[in-house]
Amino acid sequence: MIAFISSFLDISFFEALTKYPELFLNALIAGIIIGIVAPLIGSIIIVRRLSLIADTLSHFSLAGVYFGVLLSNMFDFKISPIFMAVVFSILCTIIMEFLSGFFKNYKELSMPIVMSFGTALSGIFIALSKSSTALNGYLFGSIFTVSTTDLMIILSLTALIFIFIAIFYRKIITLCFDETQAKISGIKTKVLQYFITIVLAIFISLFIKIVGVLLISSLMIIPVSASMLIGRSYKQTCIISIIISELAILLGIYLSYTFSLPTGSLIVLLSIAFMIVIMIIRYIVRGKKRKPEDINNE
Amino acid sequence: MRVRINNLSFAYGQKVVLSDINFSLNSGETLAIVGRNGTGKTTLVKCILKLLKVPPKTIFLDDIDINEIRKFHNIAYVPQRPEFNYEFPITVKEILSASYPSRKHDFYYKSTINSLQINKFYNENINNLSGGQLQRVFITRALLAKPKLIIFDEPTVGMDVESMNELNLILNKLKSQNITMIIVTHDHNFGLRYADYILKLDDNFTYTLETNTPNNILEIKEDKQ
Repeated sequence: MIAFISSFLDISFFEALTKYPELFLNALIAGIIIGIVAPLIGSIIIVRRLSLIADTLSHFSLAGVYFGVLLSNMFDFKISPIFMAVVFSILCTIIMEFLSGFFKNYKELSMPIVMSFGTALSGIFIALSKSSTALNGYLFGSIFTVSTTDLMIILSLTALIFIFIAIFYRKIITLCFDETQAKISGIKTKVLQYFITIVLAIFISLFIKIVGVLLISSLMIIPVSASMLIGRSYKQTCIISIIISELAILLGIYLSYTFSLPTGSLIVLLSIAFMIVIMIIRYIVRGKKRKPEDINNE
Repeated sequence: MRVRINNLSFAYGQKVVLSDINFSLNSGETLAIVGRNGTGKTTLVKCILKLLKVPPKTIFLDDIDINEIRKFHNIAYVPQRPEFNYEFPITVKEILSASYPSRKHDFYYKSTINSLQINKFYNENINNLSGGQLQRVFITRALLAKPKLIIFDEPTVGMDVESMNELNLILNKLKSQNITMIIVTHDHNFGLRYADYILKLDDNFTYTLETNTPNNILEIKEDKQ
């Protein structure tokens, strides 16, 4: 898509942006939203040590996308693939919860099982729908395919995610950092965890189109991992990760247009680049700070 | 808060950990639970905190069966250090604010922070705190729940002399405020310093409940074998 736009226009990104804003507006708005929401949710799942869940959900929601395509092909009405992705990812949380009841001491087992199940279903649905036209789009993402309807869904569900986090912020913090304290203080930890997973499921389904199934979890994990290295508080860590995320997304869109490369891949690579820069800076700063102590210890 | 344990037994599957425990505490009294590793100290505390499911009519708080209590009020727990997630950056302020029942930092919140001298590191990342400072943060969090019962799990582990002195001051203050306390400790002498009763859990599910007097420890209730 981006390659098509850039070759078709044959002008620089900023010229294209001013001349044909309608081509870029949805992509930019969607990008800015994901840059805020992804690290917020990412910080929660990292603290809860649930990083693998994101991958599981994204693979299972891909099955939803293709089930939507299959239904649309079979019947005479159009079903939004994003909507079906939301339904499937919520279904995924229910299956994972159900399975973890059987493997109480190996709770993480439910994740690879469900991930394989989702991938297998995707294969079947792709074959049955006899359509693999948008396969690359959903695997690696294409921000320029975000329609106005998609944007409306993204905006309204993002608002719901924000409301959820705002209402339960203190309970989420207590649960994430000290589950025992959360239980003692009367927080229904299982119910809250369930809601967090559903919010995650909705988020992943929404943004599959932008970053793609294979890369979506990285957008939640990498900026937060980078900011964890320099953040001094939870709030500060979230803010830094949002800045990293936004820089990676906006720069990614720009480079994607300029060099006709996949947007999702560029965004993730840029996030990793920012993380490496932060790691180097941290190493240098800490190294300098440690030197006098090391000398004293010797 | 009154605490009554009535013929409490607990097993993890087939493995019995607690057998037929009985004791009661009146408001403002302190119990020290001592014993070697694996004798069921933490299990007993988890039962009282409803973190483990116990049979009906075995644990009563203010004469109410804990199975009938839907949400704990005025009960606080000061955990051992490893139970907290330390790797992600979070400040003392963020931990305490999230735990406080009210969104506003009212007089009680501020005075509790001041009385435990948390101000010095209120905006610090918890990763930068010493063991003693961390202990103070967790005690402050417990006090913010306006507790009538506080349970301490191994409060002296990893503490230096200065931190121990601080802890002694805090416990004396709590005792003067008529707060019921249960202290799980390996340190028998530490338990003796504050406890009205000493519950000594032994191997083979036996226990001894003793009352603590200034002169000596007088066995009063029972010595099960």
